[in-house]
Amino acid sequence: MHGEYKLPGGKLVIVDFAVADDTLRDVVVSGDFFLYPEEALEPIRAALEGIPTTLSEADVAARVRDAIAPDVELIGATPEGIAIAVARALAA
Amino acid sequence: MTNDRPVDGDVTYPSISELTGLSPEEIDARWRAFEWHLLPPTPLPPMMQTALDETLTLRVGRGEQPPTLRIWQWSGPCVVIGRFQSVKNEVNEDVLRENGFDLVRRISGGGAMFIQPNNAITYSIYAPEELVKGLSFPESYAFFDGWVIDALRELGVEARYQGLNDITSTGGKIGGAAQARRGGAVLHHTTMSYQIDSQLMTQILRIGKEKLSDKAVQSADKRVGPLRQQTELDRDVIIHHLIGHFRARFGLVDDALSNAELAEGEEAVRTKFGTPEWIYTLP
Repeated sequence: MHGEYKLPGGKLVIVDFAVADDTLRDVVVSGDFFLYPEEALEPIRAALEGIPTTLSEADVAARVRDAIAPDVELIGATPEGIAIAVARALAA
Repeated sequence: MTNDRPVDGDVTYPSISELTGLSPEEIDARWRAFEWHLLPPTPLPPMMQTALDETLTLRVGRGEQPPTLRIWQWSGPCVVIGRFQSVKNEVNEDVLRENGFDLVRRISGGGAMFIQPNNAITYSIYAPEELVKGLSFPESYAFFDGWVIDALRELGVEARYQGLNDITSTGGKIGGAAQARRGGAVLHHTTMSYQIDSQLMTQILRIGKEKLSDKAVQSADKRVGPLRQQTELDRDVIIHHLIGHFRARFGLVDDALSNAELAEGEEAVRTKFGTPEWIYTLP
């Protein structure tokens, strides 16, 4: 499954994943956003790994937000935008 | 210049001063607090270019290299993808290989760059973090490229900084910047388009509808405004002017890549930048 979202005035975020047992598997989060430090991408990706496909967009965004430590800066993308990309992937 | 509010049609854009939250005097004072070295263009393969960016940033962070402006000379065509991009989402790899392009991943985020050597103008700035201390990331982007906006405007190009990291103009997008930070130093690098083979670009790069969604354009190739469409000047003349502007305003000491730096870069290509693990880290 593949979903994309571009924040107006921001950057593109893309989520790719497979669905197994109604959960997200093999999630890949990618895009042309900026992230400091770079290592912070893995916790974001891991936050989506295994989540139920039935999770609300708001809850998906919350999971992503919780995976972003206070000293991490995500620029050009937001947890809500990532949740939209997930929703689009599931709806496709 | 730094106080100019660029106008495009009936829209007035913020000045570099406004984008950084610093007065023109404060901006120049920050740059002039350092002795800048110039690494002039030497032809190097794309993978070596991106490897050197990490090598030199780390060296500046350790105080082994002074703050430096490096002008690139690409020795071959390539697509350089951002740190967080996925290869298959961004390029048609078979078309890329058929056309003899290299595929390279850089350490900074941002989007994919379509590079044909004499069609691009690329530079890197390696600076101690102190240069942009107290600035947010968005402010630091405008800070690093403000001098280029001013230099282009001196040449009659109606350039401005827009969004997070775009150098654009009344004629379209000229280029974009990306930044990485490590070891107390900042890598800020920018590529501007001098000319563009948009047909080949749209065959090699995958530019989906979502990417164009909030821009009032019909197709990918109308988003770009290469410099050649906005000025009669040769690429060499533009580069010469950019260097001259930086030199006159902030100072430049002429320097050259050392054998040690080249060796470090080659090692980084061997152990990281040339490896599938790195290139396909997001497949």
